[in-house]
Amino acid sequence: MGTDKGKINGRQLLFMFAGFIQGSALLIDFTVGITEHQTWMVILAGLIVTIPFILSYAALAKRFPGNDLVRINDMVYGRFIGKALSLYYIFFLSMTLSFNILDVGELYVNFLMPDTPFFFLLSVFAAVIAYAVYKGIEALAKVSHLFVATSLFVIITTSVLLADQMDFSRFLPLFELPFIKLLQGIHIMSIIPFGETIAFLMIMEHMNDTKGPARYSFFGVLVGAASLLIVSVRNTAVLGRTQTIWTSPSFQSIRLIDIGTVLTRMDFLIGIAQTMLIFFKCSIFLYALTTALSQLFGLKSYKPLVLPVVGIEVIIAATVFQSPVDHAEITQNAGIIYSAPLIYLFPPLTLLIAKIRGLPKTERSRGK
Amino acid sequence: MIFLLMAYALIFLVNVPGLVKRKERKELVVFFILYIIGFVLGLMYALDIPIPSPMKGLQYLISDKLGLKYPQH
Repeated sequence: MGTDKGKINGRQLLFMFAGFIQGSALLIDFTVGITEHQTWMVILAGLIVTIPFILSYAALAKRFPGNDLVRINDMVYGRFIGKALSLYYIFFLSMTLSFNILDVGELYVNFLMPDTPFFFLLSVFAAVIAYAVYKGIEALAKVSHLFVATSLFVIITTSVLLADQMDFSRFLPLFELPFIKLLQGIHIMSIIPFGETIAFLMIMEHMNDTKGPARYSFFGVLVGAASLLIVSVRNTAVLGRTQTIWTSPSFQSIRLIDIGTVLTRMDFLIGIAQTMLIFFKCSIFLYALTTALSQLFGLKSYKPLVLPVVGIEVIIAATVFQSPVDHAEITQNAGIIYSAPLIYLFPPLTLLIAKIRGLPKTERSRGK
Repeated sequence: MIFLLMAYALIFLVNVPGLVKRKERKELVVFFILYIIGFVLGLMYALDIPIPSPMKGLQYLISDKLGLKYPQH
């Protein structure tokens, strides 16, 4: 058992997966500049590509009940290679957390509170996620359905209110983009919203459902992917090709809502929903990161690490990229390439080695 | 700078007394390693000393040295 004794059930895991993926709704903008009006296809293709890998995470969690990623790595690869691999995962979790904290800062500075100091926004947000993680995984799991429900409400409401401005001919022509652009778009989609769910390998050990996490993970990912798909279809149907010129197509499309000059300026809804969802996503990342670090060093609790780690993450978030352009360019290339082995290669490989070596049964009998 | 000192004083007060009281030596050591890294990074940020970006290093290694990158559009 890990450094947190909290328990979650299958339904909570489903909502956690869904909320976690919905937290990337603004990040589909990384793909929009490349795949334009075919972004919806790339989301679907990214989902199809990543589902088997996500199921391999669930299969690993089922095969090693009560063990997290760090201990699974130790068991399968041995102490030395296992720890090195865990460090690679910790680096990934740390970088991805800082990018998400940065996303919140950029969201507020660009769209909601432009006069507030950037570093102050990052610090306050980080303090709130630290508090949430300090409360443990059970507390986060118990409120996960509220985040998902709020997000679905905002996505569906804004889509309905924009229905009169939608023009589905803006999806045409289909299959117009060069293959390399589609490939890059699918790569981004499969890593950023879907592949990042690798963080759940630090959480699934808390499941109290003996049937295993596969079906809950699967349906959670489907709910999250459906949300991203609706957002993408809404933005393309409303903005068409012009969505590529906006910093945030979601904000731009919502700003066009005008129902009898009464219901206008609805972009605050996106602000609220995204703040909640990125908070939830960052909390899961911070939890995964601190529990992984505490496992790596063999600590009894992850809690003493939460605040110092958050302090480091805020500075990384504030300094890692020089500009939003730099952010997009690095993420679209080096960012998705360095993380690919962690998402596509190691989990299935670990599962295969565990099957060949008969782990964890062998491990248990050795202990006896 | 004052904000940084106050934040780190608070982090110290929230964690250290409990760890010392429970005699959790290993936790205390790891806490201080991360605490010092965070404080030094914060100090560099407050004093406008450039902090190297890990992602810039990765980009140099992956895209520039290994040539692994998607074509520019």
